[in-house]
Amino acid sequence: MMNLELLFQTAKEKGCSDVSVFLTNRSELSIEVFDGALDKYEIADTASMVVRGVYNGKMGTFVTEILDDKLIPSIVDAIIESAKIIDSLDDAIIYAGDKEYKKLEGLVNEELKNQDVALKIAAVKELDKAMHAADPKVTIVETMYNETTRRILLQNTKGLKLENSVNSAMFGGSAIVKDESDQRTAFDLIVSNDPKDFNATKLAKEIVSDAVAALGAKPVPTGAYEIVFHADALATLLSAFQGIFSAEMVQKNMSLLKGKLNSVVGSPLVSIVDDPFQKKSSRSRSFDDEGVATRYKALIDKGELKTYLHNLITAKKDGVASTGNGFGNAVAAVNLKFLPGSAKPEELVKSCKNGLFIKDVQGAHAGANPISGDFSLQASGFVVKDGAIGAPVALVTVAGNFIQMMKDVVAVADDLKTGYYGITTPSIKIASMNVAGI
Amino acid sequence: MLLQKKLIEKTIATGLSTGADFAEVFIEDTTSENIQLVGGRVEKANGSNIFGVGVRLALGFQSVYGYTNSKNPDDIVKLASDLSKSFSSETKTEAKPLGKLEVGKRHKAKISPRDVARSKKVELMKAAYDAAKGYDPVIVQVAINLGDSVQNVTIANSEGRYVSDCRTHVRIYVQAVAGKDGVMQTGGEGPGAAKGYEYFFEELDIREVAKDAARTAKTMLFAEDCPSGIMPVIINNKFGGVIFHEACGHSLEATSVAKNASVFCGKLGQQVASPIVTAIDDGTIEHGWGSANYDDEGYPQQRRVLIENGVLKTYMVDKLNSRRMNHAPTGSSRRESYRYSPTSRMSNTFIDNGKSTFDEIVAATEYGLFAAKMGGGSVNPGNGDFNFAVSEGYMVRNGKIAEPVRGASLVGNGAKILWNIDMIAGNLDRARGMCGSASGSIPADVGQPTLRVSSITVGGKKGGK
Repeated sequence: MMNLELLFQTAKEKGCSDVSVFLTNRSELSIEVFDGALDKYEIADTASMVVRGVYNGKMGTFVTEILDDKLIPSIVDAIIESAKIIDSLDDAIIYAGDKEYKKLEGLVNEELKNQDVALKIAAVKELDKAMHAADPKVTIVETMYNETTRRILLQNTKGLKLENSVNSAMFGGSAIVKDESDQRTAFDLIVSNDPKDFNATKLAKEIVSDAVAALGAKPVPTGAYEIVFHADALATLLSAFQGIFSAEMVQKNMSLLKGKLNSVVGSPLVSIVDDPFQKKSSRSRSFDDEGVATRYKALIDKGELKTYLHNLITAKKDGVASTGNGFGNAVAAVNLKFLPGSAKPEELVKSCKNGLFIKDVQGAHAGANPISGDFSLQASGFVVKDGAIGAPVALVTVAGNFIQMMKDVVAVADDLKTGYYGITTPSIKIASMNVAGI
Repeated sequence: MLLQKKLIEKTIATGLSTGADFAEVFIEDTTSENIQLVGGRVEKANGSNIFGVGVRLALGFQSVYGYTNSKNPDDIVKLASDLSKSFSSETKTEAKPLGKLEVGKRHKAKISPRDVARSKKVELMKAAYDAAKGYDPVIVQVAINLGDSVQNVTIANSEGRYVSDCRTHVRIYVQAVAGKDGVMQTGGEGPGAAKGYEYFFEELDIREVAKDAARTAKTMLFAEDCPSGIMPVIINNKFGGVIFHEACGHSLEATSVAKNASVFCGKLGQQVASPIVTAIDDGTIEHGWGSANYDDEGYPQQRRVLIENGVLKTYMVDKLNSRRMNHAPTGSSRRESYRYSPTSRMSNTFIDNGKSTFDEIVAATEYGLFAAKMGGGSVNPGNGDFNFAVSEGYMVRNGKIAEPVRGASLVGNGAKILWNIDMIAGNLDRARGMCGSASGSIPADVGQPTLRVSSITVGGKKGGK
């Protein structure tokens, strides 16, 4: 551990008005099982420190993984050198802190922490076995467990000192299934810090039945379809477009939501919130990286845009308070959640005359443009004809504009799921979208 | 250095002490710098220094990996000791002594990023900004990122490998946003090289790069939505090569082949593509974006002819997967950093020149899409289904390039698309990308000549004809 008092003192002596450090200590455990045997086992302990300092009113930043007191002068020099080239008109702010920070319970699950590694390996082997046993069409199974324990410390020369510890794990697997003419894959995982949530039997059945149901999947004719997005597909889309809520992107002319505060940007069924206190989420925090207290907030309430996400700088520019969303170098949500509706997911499907039930979309990192809002993504799922699920579908694209899609939401289900992206979503139905196939 | 060698030998011996038959130490010290300029002003600038040690042990097919960024020798030996507890075998493997350190000699930077004043870097960025912003009044915003990194690695293993390599990368990314009447479109260019700043100061015309990003943004602003359906697609050279990278390259990596999870398993020596297709993964190209002297297991990078005249010649194989595959390693092992255990990855991957010309390909196409610039894509190696985005497209009508179209993506199946390549031009060129996979995000170069795929699904917002 570096001597922070010495770092602060050296920085002041060299002319920095204020300094802040953000230290992350991380332990990781990762287990992979293949063909019944332990295939990969990883352990790690790392520390990384972000040092930010204000020099002549500008913010310089340096990240180091060598926490050696001898490096303090060179770290401070690097901060000053980077601050010198900044000619942004924004103020550099090191925050003195809020009066109150919410006390979050359950971020560290002791049971997970104390569970023997042998039991964790056994759980992954059990998942592997259950997946192999779930269907004779299963040919290849890969299963994994990944656990992270993270401790952060935020400390600055304004006297602020905040700490947060959290642990969390992912438990999942992928299967390849084969029949005479086709080969399909499916993957799913559970994210939680409670080992009791990792139900291998149930997860194995779900993954394998998803893969088997997709056997024989084919493209459908090109045209417009009613679209039901499964919660997983909506999470992928929302993850690709979450940057539009950032006030930084709005202020830089790079968000479609510019000028749309308090106006209608979605159907009345659309409500999206940022919930920094969500249970069992490894992202949950009572303060952001700048030390601002986080809070629950509606971004879109019944179709109306209520706020952008702010850090200290964007908030000052807009004359509002920070929403506690300053993370890393940018503005970001903590736990995005698309609020559930009252419909059952089956009802969404039943109401389609000529539709597609999209389980999964692929390629969002390239096929979804967060600035234009346009997307055209590889999709897979099922035909829905007169309210009944039909043949499996693959290798089609579903295309549209994110804002238009939010306006075209006609039903929202009650089946909330938190997935890989840490985003919580229900299944939703869109009136009509263009699909390319054969 | 001598101390380091002793520490490495002790770490390897500790790793082997309980019966592992292979031990490897990877030491990394990387400095990097990133500057972000938006709206003509430097908004963010930061430097970083990452350091860490990764230790990998294996016995047969089973491997364990651990990493730490402690510099304390005791912590590093303890890591090897903790990892060794995964094994208990009577048969012990003796480590070969480490010889003289081999130091990588190629791909050296002339002007190290650490010797360039930050103000010089900002000058480059402002020149790019001015060129893009001044291109046209519809350009409402320009964001520029300049990044450089110097990665120093030392790799040693129980078979006596003991090498060090210095990898320098520089890259600039120019993103232009064109806007009008509430519609926004973007254009981007991201040239880079495994070089120092001589790349920017002596070789690249940064203004032309920036103007091209602005030109794409403006063209797309006034473009129609792309129609949907199955049609011939002419895919341009340079980043067009991402189609081979996604559609086939990933499925030829041992990561999926070794576990029998690739559509190309068991197809060595067989015709897997149209006979006009030759595809190469070459990690030895001088200063190539994906080149290095040694792979991340410490073995020399190689040139690999993957497919020759349509016949599958080799997979890309790392040391541990080679045990499962009964296939010699190909120097293909790569990783983002010490935080990842290495595995087989692509380096500089491209389809080789063909016999047609660009003009012949366009003239031979009655109706279809010309994908002038490509975004990224992804693939599911388990069944070969892939997608990728077109960032600048045009319709082709009656053998001529016609109106621009936007928002298109292409989807298909890797095993099938290789058969549908029916014309290849002679204008091979390559472009830079970042590839994310099992061992992290690494610089990967893609390339091809302009080529035509006779039939592929084009997905656009406009819908069918």
